Amino acid sequence: MNELETKIRAEAERLLSEGLVDVVIAFRQEDAPLHPQPAFFTQVEELESLTYNGMCANNLANYLTRYPQETRIGMVVRGCENRSVNALIVEKQHTRENLVLIGIPCEGILDWRRIVALTGENVLSVEEKDDSVIVHTRENTFELLRIELLHPSCQRCLHPNPLSADILLGDPKPEGDPHLMRLRIEALENLSLEERNAWFRHEAERCIRCYACREACPMCYCTECFVDHTEPRWTESGVTPAGMQAWHIIRAFHQTGRCTSCGACERACPMDIQMTYLTDKLNLDMADTYQFEVGMDAETQPPFATLTLDDKNRFIAQGK
Amino acid sequence: MNYRLPKKVLIQTLNAWAEQAEVFAPQKREGYAQFLPWEAGNELLLDEPHNTRFPPKAFFLPQSETLLTYNRKLSQLEMPALQISQRIIFGIRPCDARAVALLDTVFATADNPDPYWQTRREQTILVGLGCSEPATTCFCTSVGSGPFDHAGLDALLTDLGEAYLVETFTVRGEALFANLASANANDAEQAGTIQQQASALLEPAFTTDGLKEHLDQIFDSYLWSEFAQSCLGCGICTFLCPTCFCFDIVDEAQRDERVRNWDTCMFRVYSLEASGHNPRPTRAERTRQRFMHKFSYWLEHADQFGCTGCGRCVRYCPVGLDIRAMIRKAAATPSEAVHVN
Repeated sequence: MNELETKIRAEAERLLSEGLVDVVIAFRQEDAPLHPQPAFFTQVEELESLTYNGMCANNLANYLTRYPQETRIGMVVRGCENRSVNALIVEKQHTRENLVLIGIPCEGILDWRRIVALTGENVLSVEEKDDSVIVHTRENTFELLRIELLHPSCQRCLHPNPLSADILLGDPKPEGDPHLMRLRIEALENLSLEERNAWFRHEAERCIRCYACREACPMCYCTECFVDHTEPRWTESGVTPAGMQAWHIIRAFHQTGRCTSCGACERACPMDIQMTYLTDKLNLDMADTYQFEVGMDAETQPPFATLTLDDKNRFIAQGK
Repeated sequence: MNYRLPKKVLIQTLNAWAEQAEVFAPQKREGYAQFLPWEAGNELLLDEPHNTRFPPKAFFLPQSETLLTYNRKLSQLEMPALQISQRIIFGIRPCDARAVALLDTVFATADNPDPYWQTRREQTILVGLGCSEPATTCFCTSVGSGPFDHAGLDALLTDLGEAYLVETFTVRGEALFANLASANANDAEQAGTIQQQASALLEPAFTTDGLKEHLDQIFDSYLWSEFAQSCLGCGICTFLCPTCFCFDIVDEAQRDERVRNWDTCMFRVYSLEASGHNPRPTRAERTRQRFMHKFSYWLEHADQFGCTGCGRCVRYCPVGLDIRAMIRKAAATPSEAVHVN
């Protein structure tokens, strides 16, 4: 058990035993060593299985919308999760007063695919020690560099520290370098139209439409997704190029001003499809055009959800 | 009949087959193993301890396929000509071949065969590669199969180091290898040892004695809500599953086609009825359905589990739901511990 895990457990125990929350949402170690499981603790006795490490890959804010507003929730949040929670509060999906955010300054999520690519599939355990990660497989032991295993979204992370946690456990981490995300997007933008189209199609058309990206995303909480509408039908439902392209492009656009670039969508994808380049581009546009960054507080509406009479697009005021 | 296939002639064997038929073999693309058309000069990927990421059921039940085209003006329907050339799938793992055999009980029934499935099945030869080193996520031996199961296969290879021992089970399997020298007693004995060692590597993941009866008893258990808490409700486990076969039929009216697409009980809309009623309204009922179908209902229609232990759902579940652990939990759940609505 690591020190952070002990602290989280103690906090969770305090919140539950003092009756301050109804449930603590965190992670627990189940059988799969590469995939700790989102867990929902309601009893102190259950906390023994609570875990926290670099393999905890899900965005826990995803589970917030499963509870009624009245449920008092304690939740472990890293930088991105805290911002997702803020964005959800802005969208009135939960009441801030009913949340206790246990903040963890984040060292970045380890990408299980990178680990498996280096060590093979038969991973038995993953141990983190300072800057290295020790992976025990059935056949071997590997000592790998943490920095080389970080999920791409975490490499580009801007805000690893929770912004509005009620309790902060661990020392704050340095902020990320905003150029990293920009460089990647610019590299794509500098491609020719044909090359960009080829890139987009190559990624989108490997899709198997399992919608893991949607289900892993805290902001995809619509009761009925546009792809599930039958009257009218917005897209083809099969794995046709048109259907898959429509899914990828519309999913991304629905995230405009709502995505925190946490990368949970890519981490969930069973086909290793890159998709954050779409949402990251939209996030840069939001920053450049509206100086807006998602979830930096729990009050500011995203630009596309905002109506003002002094909008610089005059059509509203002029009624044309 | 048993043959000996020296490894140094494997590539030329595949090349020769590729002149007569469409050959698919595991190759690495996008960073993972996939069945791709074999062409001379390609690189084979046979040393992964597990199967391809995408299940080979798609060779027989494509994720999307046009069942009919129609002409509204003329009120005419037409079934597309299924021009499937002879195909050889080389290197399919026994779990995936067994899954195809299981799906025959659904799509190749005597009284009502599915012509799309049937045509593809008849045109496809399955040459399996047994698993000398099953992965830690594999559990075939726990569901009545094994790393050298030959259900569904025309031939099965066992890696002997310098060569493969080829066991053939059908006439068309035999025809593929008939020009090879027969295996000797020594080869067969070595293969037997390798096969036994592989099975021994797989410790039983759970016991299946009385599992079905127990599951039927805990249908109303709180357990399903517990599983559903972390479940995302995505389609990974079912789409990557080699035995899941549910589909949805839609009309792509813009091109006058009636299309069959894979569907999954994990989706809310799967069981949503036209009236708006959903008999499986929450993830709990949907998680239970996936589970019960494989470990209870399959036994009723085919007397087999609808799971071959391939391990894909274990490896790719984004929230670490391991079906082996789920079964152990279900088995440990007392049947009187029911959830009262």
